[in-house]
Amino acid sequence: MFKKYIPHPTKREGFAIALLVAEIILFSIFVPNFANVNNFIRVVQNNSEVAIISIGMTIVMLLGGIDLSVGAVMGVVAVVVGYMIMAGISTLLIIPAAAAIGILVGAVNGLIISKLHIPDMLTTLATGNVWKAVIFGLLGGKWMTSLKPSFRGITTAKVAGIPVLLFLVLLVYAVFYYIFMYRKYGRHIYAIGCNEEAAVLSGINVARIRFGSYCLTGALAGLTGLLYIARMGSVEMTIGTNTAIQCIAAVTIGGIGAKGSGTRGSVIGTLAGVFFIGFLKNGIVIMGIPSLLENFFVGMLMIICVLFDSVSAMRRSAKPAEKGAA
Amino acid sequence: MKKVILPLAKSRAKFLVFLLIIEIAILSALNPEFAKVNNLIEILQFGATLFLMAVGEALVIMVIPGGIDISIGSIMSLCCVILGLTYQKTGSLLAAILITLAAGALLGAVNGILVGLFNMPSLIATLGTQYVFASLALYVTNGVAISGFPESFKWLSLEMTFGVPNQILFMVIPVLIVVLFLIYKTRFGRNIYLTGDNAEAAKFAAVKTKQTIFFVFVLAGVLTAFSAIINCSWLMTARADAGSGMEMNAITVAMLGGISAVEGGRGHLSGVIVATVLITMLKSGLQMAGINSIWILAITGVILVVSIVVNNVMNQLVEKVNTN
Repeated sequence: MFKKYIPHPTKREGFAIALLVAEIILFSIFVPNFANVNNFIRVVQNNSEVAIISIGMTIVMLLGGIDLSVGAVMGVVAVVVGYMIMAGISTLLIIPAAAAIGILVGAVNGLIISKLHIPDMLTTLATGNVWKAVIFGLLGGKWMTSLKPSFRGITTAKVAGIPVLLFLVLLVYAVFYYIFMYRKYGRHIYAIGCNEEAAVLSGINVARIRFGSYCLTGALAGLTGLLYIARMGSVEMTIGTNTAIQCIAAVTIGGIGAKGSGTRGSVIGTLAGVFFIGFLKNGIVIMGIPSLLENFFVGMLMIICVLFDSVSAMRRSAKPAEKGAA
Repeated sequence: MKKVILPLAKSRAKFLVFLLIIEIAILSALNPEFAKVNNLIEILQFGATLFLMAVGEALVIMVIPGGIDISIGSIMSLCCVILGLTYQKTGSLLAAILITLAAGALLGAVNGILVGLFNMPSLIATLGTQYVFASLALYVTNGVAISGFPESFKWLSLEMTFGVPNQILFMVIPVLIVVLFLIYKTRFGRNIYLTGDNAEAAKFAAVKTKQTIFFVFVLAGVLTAFSAIINCSWLMTARADAGSGMEMNAITVAMLGGISAVEGGRGHLSGVIVATVLITMLKSGLQMAGINSIWILAITGVILVVSIVVNNVMNQLVEKVNTN
C-alpha cells in the first residue's frame, strides 16, 4: 500500500541523476583524492544550505517565477541570529525567530509580486539589493566572528558514519516530495505552472499560492541562515553572494527553467542538481583550477541544461502530433 | 486637474521632466553646491556610461514581453578588461577600442543566440552568461586592475570641448542619433516594437522575430562596450568589477523611463533619456550627502519597484480616460 509513495522520477529527472552519477564516476577515476568518505562528507556539509534553499527556488520556478534575493534573505537572518547568539538568547527561541524573520522578509517579496503585480525577477532583484544594504547596515562594516551557537554540532555530527546533515536534507526533501505529489498545495503549484489561466478558472487562488510560496522560500532561507552560522561560526558582508545562482543552476539542471516546463520535474531533479554542482565545485578545487572560475562552470552548466530543454521544447511544439507524448 | 494629469500620464518624458524639476529644487535646497555648473557637468559625465547601457537594456525589455538582460554589467566588466589587455598587447589605442567594440557585439550575440534563436528564457540565459562573463573577467586579470593607459586617453572622458564633456559630445550624442534613427526611422526599429507587442502577429507580417531579438542583444552589447570604453577613460584603469551593479541601474532607468516590464513594445526612448538624468542626479546628490554606495543601490532598488507601480497606475489611468 505504500508502493505509490516510492519516488518515481520523470525521464528528465532520471537524466539529471545519470549526470550526477556519471560525474562522480568520472571524478573518482580521474581526480586523485576525490573518492574518499571524508571528501563526500565535506561536499554534503558544504551544500546543505543550497540544498534546502533550492526547494523554495523549485517552487518559485515551477510557478514561472524566480527569486534572486534568497542569498540576501539568508544573510539578513544570519546577521540577526548572530546578534541573538551574542546576546545569549536560548536556542529554543532562536530557531522559530529565524523562521519568522525569513517568512517576514519573504512576505515582502510575495506582497509586491502578487498584490502590486510587479514581475518577480525585478522585485527580487530590487529587494535583494535592499537586504544587502540592510546586512551592511546591521554589521556596520565589521565581521561577526567566533559565534558558538549551541546547535553548531549539527553540521559535524554523524550517525553510523553518515553526517546528520544528510539525513536532515533527505528528510526535508522527502517531506516536500510528498507535498508536491500528494497534497493540494503541491498539485496547485503544478497546475499554475502548467497553465495559469486554467488554474484561475478552476478556482485556484493563484495570488495566495504565489504569496505563500515566497513566504515559504523566505522561511527556508531563514532556517538556512542557522545552518550557515553553525557551519562557519561567522558572518561577513559577502554572505550569500553566490547562493541565488547556485540554487537557480541546481533547479535548471534538475529540469525546471525552460519555457513551459511547469509539468516536468520535482524536488528529485533539484536534489540531483544541487549535488551535481556541489561535486563539480569540489572537483574543481581538488584539481587545482582557480576558484575564480567556479562561477564560469556553474553558469555554463546552467546555460547548457536550459538550452537542452529549450531546444527539445521547440522540437516538441514543431511536431504537434507528438505533443501529448511528453 | 485632469488637464494637467492626463498629458503627464500619457507622455512619460513630460512626467519625468516635471519630477526632475522637483528633484533639482530639493537637492539644491539641501546642498548649495549642487546646482553649480561644475557639479552639473560632472553629473553629465557620470551619466554617459549609464545612459548607453540603459538604452540597450530598454530595447531588450521592449523586444521580448517580460524580457530582461541581466548580463550587461558583466559585459561591461569584460569589455573593460579586454580594452586594457588589448592595449597592453598591441600598444595601439584605436585597435584596442575597435577590438573592444567587436567583443561587445560578440558577447551580446551570445545572449542573442541563446534567447533569440534557441528560445531560452531571457532571464535564465543572461543570468548564466552574467556569471560566465564576470568570472572570465576576474580570472583573466586575477582581480587586479589594469592600468597604464596613455595620457591621451584622458581626452575622451576627462576633457571638454566648447564646455561640453567630450564623452557626451563625441560618444553619447552621435551614438544616440544613430540609435534613434535606427529605432524610429528604419524597418528594424518598427520590427522591434512589433515583435515586442505581438510576436505571433509579427511573424505573420513577415517579420523575422528571431533575427530582430538577436540583433537587439547585439546592439545592447555594442552600447555596453561603448560605455566600457568611456568608463576606462574616466578611471584610467580597467577593473574586472567595473560593471557590477550596473545592470540594476540600467534596468531601473529603463523602467523609470516608462518601458513596460510586462508587455513588450511599450515605451519611448525619450523617457529613458530623462530618466538617466534623474537617476544620475539623485545618485550624485546622495553621494554628496556622504551616503554609502551600497545604500544608494538599495535606494535604486526601491525606485525600481516604485517606478513599475507608477507605470501600471499611469497606464490604467490613460485606459480609463480613453474608455470613458
